[in-house]
Amino acid sequence: MNIRTELHNYLSSLNKYLARLHHDDAAEVIKEIESHILDAVEAREANGETVDMKHILAGFGSARDLASQYVDHVLQGAPPPKGFKAIQSITRGVTKGLWYSMAFFGYFMAGALALVGLAKLLFPNQVGLWSAAQGQSVVITFTDARFPMSQEVLGWWLVPLALLASGLVFILTRKVLKALRHGMP
Amino acid sequence: MSKTSNPHEKWDSQLRKGTLELVVLASLNERQVYGLELLKSLQQLPTMQITEGTLYPLLDRLKREGLIAAEWFQEGDSRPRKYFQLTSAGTDKLALLADRWRQSVADLAYILDHPGPEPMFEE
Repeated sequence: MNIRTELHNYLSSLNKYLARLHHDDAAEVIKEIESHILDAVEAREANGETVDMKHILAGFGSARDLASQYVDHVLQGAPPPKGFKAIQSITRGVTKGLWYSMAFFGYFMAGALALVGLAKLLFPNQVGLWSAAQGQSVVITFTDARFPMSQEVLGWWLVPLALLASGLVFILTRKVLKALRHGMP
Repeated sequence: MSKTSNPHEKWDSQLRKGTLELVVLASLNERQVYGLELLKSLQQLPTMQITEGTLYPLLDRLKREGLIAAEWFQEGDSRPRKYFQLTSAGTDKLALLADRWRQSVADLAYILDHPGPEPMFEE
């Protein structure tokens, strides 16, 4: 592998690991590292030395480790929103599986609450929040058959409350996913 | 200066970690240098064997903290190079850290100069 290819591969890999930074920040890092490496190559050539790209790159360490040093201090300067500090500790090493699970659960709940609110508008007699089992249980139903031994609570208030809860769950899900995104590899 | 390991390597490494910010700020005091030039200068000193992978992220952090400024500069037909220099905030920070360093050296010298069994300080 010639030195240009080795340099290109290293910088490509570094660019990949800097993906969590803003594009301009990552581009500046790449430009700076490339400039240093080319300086080092020129210095060796000027001294009549053999250019060993592996030796030069070894000074930077692996692309992943180098990128993580930049990412760590850059992202430390941008703390998560208020109330999300606990998430900061678990964002490192967040897997795609966790992210998609969180997205599915959050958006599903937001959608379900919105549907309940809209359904109450369209089918007021079939949809409702019922207090059953002498107040021991609260259920949301969508049926012609009245829940046995139950009493409807909220009534029409279910519409705005369900829509409001849907909106809040939607916003919360977006914020959590955004915070978790920073921890994804 | 070779990078061969020596029996003091662990001590040197720990000392470098604690003083690296001071080292870089002091190196940039009243001078403008580019990365490789700074690295080569430091590597001339026996206890300053830092690597590129340590220097560049540190320079980036110091720049984000406003302690140093960086500017791309091209001389003639040469490739552009990124030159670093202290900002006024960096000069202030350097003065502060230099004072603390001198105090630490004086404190350590005092401890070394006052071995037991007598108490270190007279009652």
